[in-house]
Amino acid sequence: MKNRLLGLAALTMTLCVTATALANSPTIRLFPTTVVEDLRQTGNVARDMETGLQEVIGRLDQQQQLYEQSKCDGAENDSGCQRLARQIGATYLDMLTIMEERLPDMEHTVNNTRQSLEKGLRNELGKKMTPWALQETLVGTGATKTATKSSPTLRGRSGMRLSERFKQYYQLVATSGSQSDQSLAVLASDIYLDMEETSVLIQRTRQEIARATLMEQLNQSFGIITPEMMEVVGGVKSILFGDEEAREIVAGPPPGSIEQAYRSPLEQ
Amino acid sequence: MSNFKLKSRLAFASILAVSMLLTACASNEPSCMSPQTRNLSNAISAVQSNLQSGCQAYFDSYYDDLLTIAEGDPRPENKREFSEFLVWAADDGLLSKRQAEDYYNRYFNVKFMSMRGDYNNCSHTCPNKQKVLYNMERELSDKERGLLRVSLDNDGYYRADQLFQEVELVLEATCTACAAGR
Repeated sequence: MKNRLLGLAALTMTLCVTATALANSPTIRLFPTTVVEDLRQTGNVARDMETGLQEVIGRLDQQQQLYEQSKCDGAENDSGCQRLARQIGATYLDMLTIMEERLPDMEHTVNNTRQSLEKGLRNELGKKMTPWALQETLVGTGATKTATKSSPTLRGRSGMRLSERFKQYYQLVATSGSQSDQSLAVLASDIYLDMEETSVLIQRTRQEIARATLMEQLNQSFGIITPEMMEVVGGVKSILFGDEEAREIVAGPPPGSIEQAYRSPLEQ
Repeated sequence: MSNFKLKSRLAFASILAVSMLLTACASNEPSCMSPQTRNLSNAISAVQSNLQSGCQAYFDSYYDDLLTIAEGDPRPENKREFSEFLVWAADDGLLSKRQAEDYYNRYFNVKFMSMRGDYNNCSHTCPNKQKVLYNMERELSDKERGLLRVSLDNDGYYRADQLFQEVELVLEATCTACAAGR
């Protein structure tokens, strides 16, 4: 009876210690609910913009094809070609108008996400951690374990639709509760840097739209297709719908198979 | 005559004593040669003997020799041999504990000794980000030698390589965020 009581007491103490340890284990807060919501909203805004632009860009492609098939290159003075060029210019203006309407929303949600992440990164990784603590967070508890395959992919999503990109971010962040601090730090950094770039890109695009609209309104009177116009359309297509070029994957080195059980007393 | 004989003998005895003393000194001078064997355990013993005979100044060069010898016969157990050698060096007072840790972890640990410090990342790491990353890159090549070529710890080396890339990304983001908060 006495032994059982002692055993029970020991078990209770162990449970208490474990619970305290779990409660005290440092957890980094990089994704407050506001970030999750901002990401979802950015994804929705990006999808709306894509939907709106898809039809216009499709129309532009058709018109451009007709222009080429009619052998209008080099026959700019032909009245039929001038009419086609004006139609293309008008569709281009439609595209710029849609972008002008949608970009402020996009900019707003992207900036909200960026600012929330910025605050989290600055406080949690920048101010609360030493360089060694940051390394320990990234390595995780099992320093010698093989890198898990579920680790988030690093940067470089140029071949992906904008809305798809945000959808992926949202899904990753929404399920972040199940991820380790190690993955969260990388994920937050990845999204933050992407938001930085997107934000700058939107800002530049908004500045350019006003100039491009004015230029195109002038060109309309002459029925000219400028190379710049085609460049802008190509740029918008690649940002919104992703690059078509398949990126070749370079094979990595073969994974090691030797179990490393030895731990030196000098190891830190 | 006898006085002259005595003087000659004394002079001879002095010369003999001096030359013996010089010979004795010359034979005690440590050779501090690199280990000649290709067997790691024997090489470590030879190095230990040299280090105890006054060749402490050659510690870096000996450590490099041992790594080269171990590269000739890579095995997971080599990690232990190096660890024990460094623990011995620390116990013997040839290295401080901190130095022994540095020697071991630089070559055989996934984490980077060149990314350490007592202050937070915003104030300590970010202002020296480029230098820190440069030093980490150099340490990664030492880890390639220690983990991959000496101990056949492929997983460990690939994890260190991945950690380097993650640190690069996370520092870029964190330092941008720190700068934006100023």
